[in-house]
Amino acid sequence: MKPPAKMSKPTSLFVIFFSLFVMSEAVFEDQVGKFDWRQQYVGKTLFAHFDSHSQSSKKLFLATDKNIFASFNSRTGELFWRHVDKAGPEGTIDILLLHGQDALMVVGGGRLLRSWDTNMGGLNWEAVLDTGSFQAACFVAMQDTVKHVAVLKKAAISLHYLTNGHQKWVENLPDSDTVQYQAVYSGGEEEVYVLGVVPNSHLTIIAYSLEDGEIIKQRSVEAPWLSSVESSCVVVGHGVLMCVDTATLALYALPIQSLDLEVSPGFQPVLVSSQPHPARSPISEFFLQLGPDHHVLLQLNADGYTIAPLRDFQPAFLVSFSTTGEKTVAAVMTPKNETVKKKKNVASCMWSYSSDVFPPQLYVHAFLKKDDSVGYRVLVQTQDHALTFIQQPGRVVWTREEALADVVTMEMVDLPLTGTQAELEGEFGKKADGLFPMVLKRLSSQVILLQAWLAHLWKLFYEARKPHGQVKNEVTIETLSRDEFNLQKMMVMVTASGKLFGIDSKSGSILWKHYLENVQPNAVFKLIVQRTTAHFPHPPQCTLLIKDKDTGLASLHVFNPIFGRKSHIAPPALPRPILQSLLLPVIDQDYAKVLLLVDDQYKVTAFPSTKNVLQQLQEMASSIFFYLIRSDQGNLSGFRLRKDLSTERIWEVVLPTEVQKIVAVNGKRPNEHVHSQGRVMGDRSVLYKYLNPNLLAVVTESTDAHPERAFVGVFLVDGVTGRIIHEAVQRKARGPVHFVHSENWVVYEYWNTKSRRNEFSVLELFEGTELYNSTVFSSLDRPHLPQVLQQTYIFPSPITTMEATLTEKGITSRHLLVGLPSGAILSLPKMFLDPRRPEVVTEHSREENLIPYAPEMPIRTEWFINYNQTVARVKGIYTAPSGLESTCLVVAYGLDIYQTRVYPSKQFDVLKDDYDYVLISSVLFALFFATMISKRLAQVKLLNRAWR
Amino acid sequence: MWLHVRLSEVCLFLQAMFILACCFSDMESGPIATSGSVQPNGDRFKIEGRAIVPGVKTQDWISSARVTVEGEEYIGFLGTDGSFVVNDVPSGSYVVEVISPGYKFGAVRVDITSKGKMRARLVNFIKTSEVIRQPYPLQLRSSGPRTYLMKRETWGWTDFLMNPMVMMMVLPLLIIVLLPKVVNTNDPEMRKEMEQSMNMLNPNPELPDVSEFMTKLFSGSKSSSSKAIGGSKASGRPAVKRRWCQNITCTSGLRNYCNWSCHGNYNAIFKKSFFIRLYNCFLSRVFFPSSEIQVCK
Repeated sequence: MKPPAKMSKPTSLFVIFFSLFVMSEAVFEDQVGKFDWRQQYVGKTLFAHFDSHSQSSKKLFLATDKNIFASFNSRTGELFWRHVDKAGPEGTIDILLLHGQDALMVVGGGRLLRSWDTNMGGLNWEAVLDTGSFQAACFVAMQDTVKHVAVLKKAAISLHYLTNGHQKWVENLPDSDTVQYQAVYSGGEEEVYVLGVVPNSHLTIIAYSLEDGEIIKQRSVEAPWLSSVESSCVVVGHGVLMCVDTATLALYALPIQSLDLEVSPGFQPVLVSSQPHPARSPISEFFLQLGPDHHVLLQLNADGYTIAPLRDFQPAFLVSFSTTGEKTVAAVMTPKNETVKKKKNVASCMWSYSSDVFPPQLYVHAFLKKDDSVGYRVLVQTQDHALTFIQQPGRVVWTREEALADVVTMEMVDLPLTGTQAELEGEFGKKADGLFPMVLKRLSSQVILLQAWLAHLWKLFYEARKPHGQVKNEVTIETLSRDEFNLQKMMVMVTASGKLFGIDSKSGSILWKHYLENVQPNAVFKLIVQRTTAHFPHPPQCTLLIKDKDTGLASLHVFNPIFGRKSHIAPPALPRPILQSLLLPVIDQDYAKVLLLVDDQYKVTAFPSTKNVLQQLQEMASSIFFYLIRSDQGNLSGFRLRKDLSTERIWEVVLPTEVQKIVAVNGKRPNEHVHSQGRVMGDRSVLYKYLNPNLLAVVTESTDAHPERAFVGVFLVDGVTGRIIHEAVQRKARGPVHFVHSENWVVYEYWNTKSRRNEFSVLELFEGTELYNSTVFSSLDRPHLPQVLQQTYIFPSPITTMEATLTEKGITSRHLLVGLPSGAILSLPKMFLDPRRPEVVTEHSREENLIPYAPEMPIRTEWFINYNQTVARVKGIYTAPSGLESTCLVVAYGLDIYQTRVYPSKQFDVLKDDYDYVLISSVLFALFFATMISKRLAQVKLLNRAWR
Repeated sequence: MWLHVRLSEVCLFLQAMFILACCFSDMESGPIATSGSVQPNGDRFKIEGRAIVPGVKTQDWISSARVTVEGEEYIGFLGTDGSFVVNDVPSGSYVVEVISPGYKFGAVRVDITSKGKMRARLVNFIKTSEVIRQPYPLQLRSSGPRTYLMKRETWGWTDFLMNPMVMMMVLPLLIIVLLPKVVNTNDPEMRKEMEQSMNMLNPNPELPDVSEFMTKLFSGSKSSSSKAIGGSKASGRPAVKRRWCQNITCTSGLRNYCNWSCHGNYNAIFKKSFFIRLYNCFLSRVFFPSSEIQVCK
């Protein structure tokens, strides 16, 4: 379908009219922050620097694995600003150096050199570096002022001016094909040293002149024991290179000296030193790590030849140095608590944290207090990606759960009912037992309600007397209960690091967290709600399927979504790789839905697998179908369950991999309700929707990437019979394809390679004006193929994700929630994506409220449901119905998390929050009094007339 | 003569050719050569420009803004003076946008040839080959802050008084109050004239009067008091009624009421209820301020 190039004037007028009509979707000014919240994250810290530019500065600079450079307020942990670079290797931050107000960064594996103004958060300059993989970088100082930065690449070293990024000189490194250059050092002299190593042979040290890049000295030291400069060599004191021999544990300075120290077997010793200022040489003290929990503080004596041990730390996991003025602090972290040791006199601060998260990184900032003593601040990055900021006496100032920067999947779970609510609900659930008891019950529940209301009033009154600041509505797990309209839910979020979170959807506060250890970094997750809160004595139950992407081996984690506690139910052992999982509507005697797991031998494991369940499965086996996708083979196959829990293949669709590859397959959401079976047309006839619950939308992309021959294919396949219901091919198009499959429609978005624009296409399926079998839908008995309508529109922006709104009963009209790269979430009425939009307006189409066709889809900033609260790198949008039919709960996640509510058809079932009670009551009263007065006047007049 | 005509034709043809040639040559020289845009690593180029938000200091907005090229394909950051450079872009055609949550910027399409010639033009997704030149290096000027939020409709006295409905109601009221003072009602001729005009307004004498109906409703038994104007009157003019009906606009809140009154036989009941209807319309405006205005059919 090609959108016509011209749009007639009346059509455009109509579009404007309709867009005005739908405009009331926007957020109102007073609704800002009322029921929505956003949390911003940055990811796991790679480099951290405290702003030591000024004494009272509270800035903290982080570079993270999500390619983000951020500035934090160290007092509160809030973001000042954040720069989100391109995701993936092109945006990786290789190093972050801080000097004064300038932060220097090498980005994308040595692609770019950037300098930031940390005060304003703007870029000073950006310089393109020569190709070659990045090795190291350091500031180069001359006469106590830092003017240059040296960047070492695999085969070249370049020197850049700090002020504008211009290259001063670049030199190729000699013998770069044999020597691995790994470190660059400058000690404030006129020279830049480059250290390279030929593994197990010798060490090469080259000194370059700062002025013109000439090689001043070149020296090679025999070092058959050395394999890597990075981990085993540091510069200590006045230009003394200290290396550790991993085999014999000798410390090689120049000359070599041996120390009697024991190293743990199989451990590679590591050296840690510190260079407080690039214009000066490093301090002469350094740490030597001898084992995973053993560090020794050593000192290079003034003569530069002898080493003296200062102190032995065991156990000690992490060490770090920090300098302020003339004083240097060494921080040592010991298990279960943390000690900060000041040089000479020891001061310690105890801080305990839950033990299982071994902290991989430690950043210490020392500063001089007013009384000239040294104060410390410590930033700890733990393995579960939590970032904790600690002040001197061991007080945790703030903690950021940076694992939430990478949410993989989530679910929203209803909160449990309170006692009163359960009582009230129970009244409707139970069978009638006579009139009189029913009346009694009714009355008693009314009394309970009255009591609750009075208690609420009393609480309000009591709190009103308190000063305003003290009143706090802290949400805790204990006080959690469902609200009137079920708008507050528990958000269960699964993050890529294997940490699970339970977040209150109303306030955004984290109510529980659970760190799963031993989760592989390439694991894929699937979260399944097996039992909701509706079955009271039984706790709700969620199951997380964790699958290793490479091996396919999976494990289950069963937990209570409200409290985050691990369930005592033992999940089945899964010895074979899992191919597919499906949740059946079958429930066991404990009201838990049955989860079926299909392994690579097409054997099925049921969880829970009680006798009851197995019996039910045997009865239902012939009507349980499932499908498997092998995208590497272009194979789509359908299976049926046998009574003995084995399976048989009943159909297979092969899409040849030479031509196209399967990108995504999506069924409909199981909790989706469709209210109306058809659409009433202008001539009062009904067009029935084709509502096949087993329909799968399969999206393929061509393997040929040439813009003229590329295509995107959409196949609609019946998941039970394997019948291809419809096939649509979009020529001269390529992915990434985003699509939504719901009700009787599929909306997909692709890139048009010919016109270089994004296009939306909508497929809608109809049975026609008559239903074949209106009572029950069966895929096996559907002789007629549906009628398919399609229309395509231009979308003036790329998109990152797409989802449709979902409501309780499906009466409310649908909107598409589109995540844009700008971070905005657009709420696009489905009305605009209706293949029945006419090109010529007729009486019928007007009657049906169809918007005339216009090729370009409008994007209005008023439709952004998150106004200026942009969500960086939106990865997914989760929608959940609430207790109100008009309201849909929305959570957008990516780097940030944003939660809000949307009203696709406005709030038709509750009074709007701008409802003017004052006006309506004043008008009523005014009318009432006017009637009274006029009545009186009329009486007087009548009387007068009678007298006349 | 013939030759002359022929010659002029030839001339015209040549001229046309020349113009065409001019056009083509212009097309050829389309992308402006910008020296220095070629980067060290071969076929990668850079897109340069500057973004300005008039009246706002750069430090107030640059930290939250960035430059995106074709979605998030390539990203650039803004310098402290609002300038930007997107490095490492291969040749092609890209939509360049400055994204700021606070301020609106227009998008620009930048074409880079394989030799590194650049040109900027307006983005047109419908006519993709249309070229409306934009300056390069890009000059992106913000057209103001973004409007995300809607203003609530507030109720003010001035809005109320300036409402045409209210005006329409107030004017007749004035006339009703002032007219008896201006016109001498005791003059029999005048009275006769007025009576006649009343008759014209009151076409159907058979049906009960609405004011009567209302008084009945409110005061119960005291109905006999006002058998007012409805008495012995001449026959009506349906054409006039219909026109009234169509002319009255009211809000959807009372749509049903309108439909009812417009379609049914009840026209006659409300023959004098024009003002009442107006009043109702006004009321519904007050009660349902946000509902859209519809014309009764």
